[in-house]
Amino acid sequence: MNAPPADLPAHARAWWLRPLFLICVVLPTLVAIVYFGVLASDIYISESRFIVRSQDKSTPTALGLLLNNAALNHGTPESAAAQSYLLSRDALAALNRDRAYARAYDRPGIAWLDRFDPLGLTGSFEDLYKYYLSHVQVETDSTAGISELTVRAYTAADARAINEHLLRLAETTVNAMSERARRDLIASSAHEAFDAKAAARAAGSALARYRNTAGVVDPEKQAPIQYELVSKLQDELIEARSDRRQLAAVAPQSDQIPALDARIHEIETRIAEQSGLAAGNKRKSLAAAGEEYERLSLEADFATKRLGAALASLETAENEAQHQSSYVERVVEPNLPDKATEPRRLRGILTTLVFSLVVWGVATMLLAGVREHRS
Amino acid sequence: MTGLPHPRRVNPSLADGFAVQRRVIGALLMREILTRYGRHNIGFLWLFVEPMLFTLGVTALWSLTRESHSNAIPITAFALTGYSTVLLWRNMPGRCISAIEPNRSLLYHRNVRLLDIYLSRLLLEFGGASISFMILTLLFMNLGMIDPPEDLLKVIFGWVTLGLFGTALALTMGTLAINNEIVEKLWHPISYLTFPLSGAAYMVDALPKSVQPLALYLPMVNCVEIIRDGYFGKHANPHYDIGYVAAVTVVMMLFALITLSIKGRLVAVD
Repeated sequence: MNAPPADLPAHARAWWLRPLFLICVVLPTLVAIVYFGVLASDIYISESRFIVRSQDKSTPTALGLLLNNAALNHGTPESAAAQSYLLSRDALAALNRDRAYARAYDRPGIAWLDRFDPLGLTGSFEDLYKYYLSHVQVETDSTAGISELTVRAYTAADARAINEHLLRLAETTVNAMSERARRDLIASSAHEAFDAKAAARAAGSALARYRNTAGVVDPEKQAPIQYELVSKLQDELIEARSDRRQLAAVAPQSDQIPALDARIHEIETRIAEQSGLAAGNKRKSLAAAGEEYERLSLEADFATKRLGAALASLETAENEAQHQSSYVERVVEPNLPDKATEPRRLRGILTTLVFSLVVWGVATMLLAGVREHRS
Repeated sequence: MTGLPHPRRVNPSLADGFAVQRRVIGALLMREILTRYGRHNIGFLWLFVEPMLFTLGVTALWSLTRESHSNAIPITAFALTGYSTVLLWRNMPGRCISAIEPNRSLLYHRNVRLLDIYLSRLLLEFGGASISFMILTLLFMNLGMIDPPEDLLKVIFGWVTLGLFGTALALTMGTLAINNEIVEKLWHPISYLTFPLSGAAYMVDALPKSVQPLALYLPMVNCVEIIRDGYFGKHANPHYDIGYVAAVTVVMMLFALITLSIKGRLVAVD
């Protein structure tokens, strides 16, 4: 492998003993061997997948479809919300109640380099958050909308427990969001329906009260009856008058004449009375009553219609709210890894070796180039 | 071993060689500036005025015709960070491919090596693109058209990473082009076709999830993402893999240096 020392220039050692090679290749590889071979703790990865379902079946526009395919889309807004919640300080704070999260990562069994807060100097919540972000991943596949939650921890049970807890937190958040949206959607319709109901009741009772006090049921319908009565009386009056004229011509002394006169007088009074009731100036006339009655009945009518519309829109809102509710559906439950999959020790060492060999090659050739210059 | 003895230095030839190389590259740089831009009209200012004009034009065009991906990212800053990076990684290989012909006679001097010619041109390109990016950013900031970068250090880191990748790419193309005209002919279509893919005109986050990993196979996309991550902060939602860029850069660099050591001997001083 090595050329015999006699072939080399006097000052040169074997190439694998020169400082450049030691610094570029041997040192990094040794560090990698020590870290990957001895120090690094086993990392267990627990994975779960979920989908945030929302039943919003709005048909996308052509532009929306285009944007969906081309860019900008990271699933539904709900799943984006779930993702952003999972990677938030809020989620960590909920997870870290009684330092539960921090305790999973500062166990004495974990390698000093991998542990959270190894020196006791970086124990703030912000430091924990930074650490959290390097151990929890959420990836959303924009086409299928499935989010993948990956948790790295130093024992299998921790990884699964944290994953499970995070999933539950996401569920709670999405449910709360959905419930709030549902309530908001219904609230205004419900309020309007309540108002309309009160108004309809008030208008109805105002009309009933007026009927009682004014003694009218419906002037529009009562007036024809009134006029019929008058015309009947008129007929009777004409008959009575012609009877009296005939009698006066045939038997002027008949004692029936005063009786007929009395009858005619009676009919005339009734006619005056009835037609005054229908349209006269008196306060009790039907025409006068009609004005007030018309106002109240219009109001009642309007209130009924408003109530109908409000109830219909409340029903629509309720339907829509039902459709828009979103929830977290678990596609894959968090798994309990039975083997540490990271770090990939051999691969890490090998990568370091190959990379440092290439760097060494570049450095050697550059330095050889420098040596070609002589003053 | 002809230099003065330096008893304190472990390896005197290396330090001396470095000093000489620095002077050589410095001299080549000055020569390059003079031969390229001359002393007439604005002279060497063209170094960054030229890329500035390019970027200004594209920025103006995009600002008028395109919509930004999101409200958080203004189109002017998007175009500025995008097109500046294109100038950086595209001009470096272009310069290197045609580096040897005009400088062939210089190789007569023992201390002028091919790598020195490449490096001087690369330094010049990098400097020009950086000054142009800087001046335009300051200009737009003063005009109130863009906000200052959120994390300047990260922008610089991304810019230098892209510069290193550009260097590796340029050396690869440049050494491949030695005694091989096809490379120069091919580079133009390749650089034009890569432009729309290069991340200047889009952010990885806006691509469908299935395409994102493919886009990140292009190292310049990763670098542009780093720069935009620094520039826009958390609005950008960046995706990048520094390890990948580093690996590609180093491997290409090694390939270029090996090619150079093999092909370098073929370059005749004539």
